[in-house]
Amino acid sequence: MAHTTTLHRKRGFIHWVTELDRILRGETTSLASMRKGMLELPVAGLIVVLLGLASIYGFCMAFFGLFNHAGAAGVQQLFASMVKVPMLFALTLVVTFPSLYVFNALVGSRLTLRSLTRLLVAAMAVLLAVLASFGPIVAFFSVTTTSHPFIMLLNVLFCAIAGFLGMAFLLQTLHRMTLTEREATPAPPALPASDAKPQAAEESADAQVIDGAQAMDDSAQTTEASDAKQQDAELDAALTEPQSALDPIEGRVLDQHVRTVFRCWVIAFALVGSQMSWVLRPFIGKPGEDFVLFSPRESSFFEAVWNALRGLLGG
Amino acid sequence: MTTLSTHPVRRFFEGMHLLLRPVPDEAYGSVSSIAGPGPRLRVLAMYIALGDFMYGAGMGAFGGFAGQRMLQVFFSAIKVPLLIMASFALTLPSFFVLNTLLGLRADFARALRALVATQATVAILLAALAPYTAVWYWSNGTYHHATLFNGLMFAIAAFAAQWPLRRRYQPLIQRNPKHRKMLRAWIVLYVFVAIQMAWILRPFIGDPTRSTTFFREDTWGNAYLIVGELIWGAIKGLF
Repeated sequence: MAHTTTLHRKRGFIHWVTELDRILRGETTSLASMRKGMLELPVAGLIVVLLGLASIYGFCMAFFGLFNHAGAAGVQQLFASMVKVPMLFALTLVVTFPSLYVFNALVGSRLTLRSLTRLLVAAMAVLLAVLASFGPIVAFFSVTTTSHPFIMLLNVLFCAIAGFLGMAFLLQTLHRMTLTEREATPAPPALPASDAKPQAAEESADAQVIDGAQAMDDSAQTTEASDAKQQDAELDAALTEPQSALDPIEGRVLDQHVRTVFRCWVIAFALVGSQMSWVLRPFIGKPGEDFVLFSPRESSFFEAVWNALRGLLGG
Repeated sequence: MTTLSTHPVRRFFEGMHLLLRPVPDEAYGSVSSIAGPGPRLRVLAMYIALGDFMYGAGMGAFGGFAGQRMLQVFFSAIKVPLLIMASFALTLPSFFVLNTLLGLRADFARALRALVATQATVAILLAALAPYTAVWYWSNGTYHHATLFNGLMFAIAAFAAQWPLRRRYQPLIQRNPKHRKMLRAWIVLYVFVAIQMAWILRPFIGDPTRSTTFFREDTWGNAYLIVGELIWGAIKGLF
């Protein structure tokens, strides 16, 4: 029984990692997959994998503190960073998610709470997979260099690269979700003018003319709308399946609503994420300083990056 | 299709000959490998290890072979393959993830083999250039000039290896142009890591006026900061 349980759990974790691989390969977000329904993801399982990936990156980051601090301080920094990096991304997501959902709804998006959750989890999967893949390089430089500004900027650079790729994935997936949702929504039936019910004889002639004209206008507009939907459907049917998760849909301009949502989310996530990293610091620990779980609140992330750049350039 | 000899020594040289010549991977015949026909990765790793070992031994022979200087020969023979392989290993995870994200996963095995084959070519080229280094050491006793000459040998080997790299990558790029971007990104990342790795693993040549050690006493440092400070100091000195 215990062996069966262990086997089941092992299969579960392998399944989650396989799903992560499918996200990276673009299979989960392919047009063919998304036409079957909403983004299919084992959200809870993926979150476990993402926390693991974030911990791995935290482990690699903390090598700087481990090799530049005497005694137990380095080990304390290692464990603290392994917890803080997942916390950073989780808290940033929790803070930005409600406003993202509301902005989405305000601009007319039909994405439900569930769809949005899955979309963000998938985007975070891409971000953290890329970030974790840079972990060995960060660990190497953390071990071999004693310059705190250099390591800080290196981590900022890799986080920026991972963030950029995660945003690109979010953008393309959001676009594909919008397209497939539009395909799934049936066009309203057109009302031919010849089927309009004849007006009652006791109505005035003017009212008859106005009503008749109004009915013709409405039917014309509905016909136009259904024609547009039909054209879109024909265009969508001719869509080329993109080769990767980051490829744009050829021949289709990004929907303006999607652009608006994207801008809101990028700005919010970047600002909140960078300031959250400042609040949760230190992640790598300064040489010569004692271990502290959280540094005092002073200055800001952007000022710190600027000072690090100046320090490196000898200013 | 070329059939390699069963004799191990002959097979070694025939394989090396195939690797250096502009032959397509199909010349290796049907090999059971997920990357299709072509040299096996473990064989390529062997060429990297041996070629770099030979050149490293030559590099470390600057101070001669007497007493402790023999240790420098041995250290350098280990360090050059370590430099190449460790730098490559560090860039592999991000190369894999980025290939997957860009939709190039199906070609990953072939792309990997193209890169490893290029490293093997560099190693063979370095081994071939080792006699030049020996002659230089014999005719010029300055440590500074020895450093520059070895830098030149590495540059020649790296430059010459661009041809087989392009040749191996050309079918991949024709299949999907994103391979070109991925290759450039990998080269930048690899050079970024390798420069720091080389700094950490020094000395490779061994200053005869200093004692022989595997690492320098001041080894923990950052190559980019040192070079940056030198350049900045030179610029400030001009004004």
